[in-house]
Amino acid sequence: MSLTELLIGLAALVLAPFVGGFLRGVDRRVTARMQGRIGPPVRQPFYDFLKLWAKALSLPNKASLVWAWAYLLLTMVTVFMLFAGQDLLIIFFVLAFAAACLAFGAYSVRSPYAHIGAHRELLQILSYEPILLLTVVAIFLQTGTFMVSGVLEHGQPLLLTLPLAFVAVLVALGIKLRKSPFDISASEHAHQELVRGVYTEYSGRTLALIELAHWYQLVLILAFVALFWAQPLWAGVLLALGAYFLEFVVDNVTARLRWTWMLSISWGKGVGLVLLNIVLIQFVFSSARV
Amino acid sequence: MLSGESLVAVLVLLPVATAAASLAIKDERWRWLLIILPSGVLIAASLLLLAQVLENGPLTFTPSGPWDSLILIVELVLLAYFVYVGVARRHLLVLGLGATQLVLFALFKFAWLPSGFKVQPAFHIDLLAVIMCLVISVIGSLIVMYALNYMQSHERHLKLGATRQHVFFFYLVGFLGAMNGVVFANSLLWFLLFWGLTTLCCYHLIRHDLTDEAEQSGLRALWMNLVGGLALVTGMSLAYQASGSLSLLDLTGFGTVAPVMLLPLALFCFAGFTKAAQVPFQGWLLGAMVAPTPVSALLHSSTMVKAGVYLVLRLAPGYEGTYLSAGIAVFGAFVFMITSVLAISQNVSKRVLAYSTISSLGLIICCAGINTGLAIAAAIALIIYHAVVKGVLFLAVGIMEQSIHSRDIEDMEGLVTRLPALAGMAIIGMVVMLFVPFGVLFAKWAGLQAAAAAPTVWFSLVVTFLVVGSAAGIVFWVRWIGRLMSHTAAGAGAPEAAPPEAEPRGSLSYLVVAVLLAGGVVLSVLAAPLVSYLISPAGAAMGYNPALDTAGWHLKTPFGFFTPWVLFVVIGAALLLPTLLVRVRTEDIRPVYLCGEHRASTAGGPVFTSLGDQAVPLVTGGFYWSRAFGERSLNVWVNGAGIALLAALFVGVIV
Repeated sequence: MSLTELLIGLAALVLAPFVGGFLRGVDRRVTARMQGRIGPPVRQPFYDFLKLWAKALSLPNKASLVWAWAYLLLTMVTVFMLFAGQDLLIIFFVLAFAAACLAFGAYSVRSPYAHIGAHRELLQILSYEPILLLTVVAIFLQTGTFMVSGVLEHGQPLLLTLPLAFVAVLVALGIKLRKSPFDISASEHAHQELVRGVYTEYSGRTLALIELAHWYQLVLILAFVALFWAQPLWAGVLLALGAYFLEFVVDNVTARLRWTWMLSISWGKGVGLVLLNIVLIQFVFSSARV
Repeated sequence: MLSGESLVAVLVLLPVATAAASLAIKDERWRWLLIILPSGVLIAASLLLLAQVLENGPLTFTPSGPWDSLILIVELVLLAYFVYVGVARRHLLVLGLGATQLVLFALFKFAWLPSGFKVQPAFHIDLLAVIMCLVISVIGSLIVMYALNYMQSHERHLKLGATRQHVFFFYLVGFLGAMNGVVFANSLLWFLLFWGLTTLCCYHLIRHDLTDEAEQSGLRALWMNLVGGLALVTGMSLAYQASGSLSLLDLTGFGTVAPVMLLPLALFCFAGFTKAAQVPFQGWLLGAMVAPTPVSALLHSSTMVKAGVYLVLRLAPGYEGTYLSAGIAVFGAFVFMITSVLAISQNVSKRVLAYSTISSLGLIICCAGINTGLAIAAAIALIIYHAVVKGVLFLAVGIMEQSIHSRDIEDMEGLVTRLPALAGMAIIGMVVMLFVPFGVLFAKWAGLQAAAAAPTVWFSLVVTFLVVGSAAGIVFWVRWIGRLMSHTAAGAGAPEAAPPEAEPRGSLSYLVVAVLLAGGVVLSVLAAPLVSYLISPAGAAMGYNPALDTAGWHLKTPFGFFTPWVLFVVIGAALLLPTLLVRVRTEDIRPVYLCGEHRASTAGGPVFTSLGDQAVPLVTGGFYWSRAFGERSLNVWVNGAGIALLAALFVGVIV
């Protein structure tokens, strides 16, 4: 890792919460407009965060707080690694650990609603993890490297040869951002059968930690989407923002569905699309490998 | 310093001698002495052998003396014994397979091979064999020591009249000698005997408790492994016909003759699949859990199944770049995926562990099939790390089972408060199995990269199986850890924490678990030196280019890179700092949300007021989704696909 990469990684750690929080604010605003409301100001997520942070501590046990911290810190590690140009496979392995920490936090409390949420969180991991890892392999086939720094140097936009993988990543994006129809582990608004799923036992400062982790995660996933058009970078950023906007639309026109449906979409269509894309690369786009 | 030959003699014969002695000794105290001393010697001998081979290169020799005749006699007796078991237990499959193997072997030996046929050298011990020997001798010995404690309480629990421990230790310790023989042998005739001996030990250890279920599981293990034995004998005959040689060195292209003999190699690999309990032979390993826990630990971590993957890996240079290689990669990856998915539906801890073992072995076999330097390195690394961690997990589950009298994951809820030390070790073990920066994940990382860069058109299928399988692995491990961790904070209606004496933390069995776990963590931190001093040279000795650059303690492939110790520091800080720094005052603790008013807690835990003022106790449970991932709905497809893949393998090889 060069000094520049180190500095970019550290800068990303500092800036990501602001970008993530801002994007969440835009999300709420746009969603409100789609629903015919005016919506809160774009700064609202930061106000919410500060208010949550100022609340007195109230939690079911110490372990849940420890895991919330671990969730945040490990997510920060992935953000640092991505912006410092590290190995994509390792980044997603660490991200899986982070996601598991959220489930651990819910499991560590003997709470029925948190447990249902944690189980469903695992199903979400089961759904998006293969798509992400297989897409990394597809990216490798085009660029010959697993390093983000190498992918950035690749001259050709990846989207042109990996269009199907990109569509699959959009599905994974929806699951990872917990947008409808994939918000099965924790519904966006308290629903009776789930309450708040994995977040049920979090409140105040601990909920703020998790919200912060989500901002980091949002930046991470959108940065991964941007890799599909890494040069020029502004095209990648536009691509990521476009994908994010698409998620708003899908979120607002669909309802939460069953996990079996989610799994069949992500394994059948998602993994299937990436696989198809890989086979296309193998036999159509290049003849290098026999 | 002892010569290499005498070290080999110690490593193979000392366990056999110890086993024979333990059969005669029924006194507890003498048994402890008898088991612990040779175990120490065995560990020391394996380390000395490592030093020798590192210094002088592969050790190749044929012991002088009438060993060939002795081996032949024992082999015939062994096969005759299998036939006898078939007759005595009225098990047609065992009888048929045993008899066929006996006849085939006798025909081959007496009617086909010229009399006085000797395979030179009888032993060829390269670095891969030494690594296997270390796994067997160190982890195996630790498990044997653990068994000393375990079997005492096991028999106390069963209320046996006369102890049968001497028989148990006979097979348990003898197993280690047979396994060392398997990995050292170069002569296929010798190999076959040691292979058969592991089958024998496995059969007797599984049926040790002599219940109906144990007998049935033992017989199932026996016939499935006899299928493999039969494949081995057939493969031997074909190999001899094609090349006139019965040396593993020749078969893998390091000898004087180097023809491509795919069919015998395919048969040998098939034998490896049966021993490694790959689909559709997974039944015997799943059934093996009826045996006392040390047996499961031994079968799963350091012996038996590892002999299967060892054979596939040993032969890898022989089938490099062939159709067989690609077929093995696809088959291994498929098993890796499908057994991980099946494990999701299991709520019996030992079955989860069994499926995860089969899955890891599938990954090792897949890596052998990918057959590049990187893949072979991943396979060897996985053998080492999996052996250590699976040892920890089985031994920990064994103690749990003796403490809570259940092997159901549902009954393990909240063990962190009931058996904190043990549950802590089990949780760390599972994390080592599952997450970066630990060794198993490093092997998975290398394997995935190797698969993505694999020189076969089928690589896309292989990587797809691998990514789906690893996602499934996250589900069943995290859920299990979650069940262990689930607890109510002290002071908020929690059940009383267990008194310290509930956990015999100073006992030998606790010590063994702790030592193994520490070994797994240390080896993970030291992944880079482990690769540069052992794994890469072992691959190089098999003719593979070292694919991992470990300069500066990084792990660097041509396509990717990470630094284990940096990740250890960072991730360790992310987990430990909150644990140490977070302070929670008792008055901050609140009861959980229960959709109703809390009532005074009872001994069973919190109670809340539900609909119609009913008092409802708080209950939580795990989801196992057995309708979607269960054996009942999937097994037909799983076994069918496994058989189809194996058939495709053989058809392709023959055509």
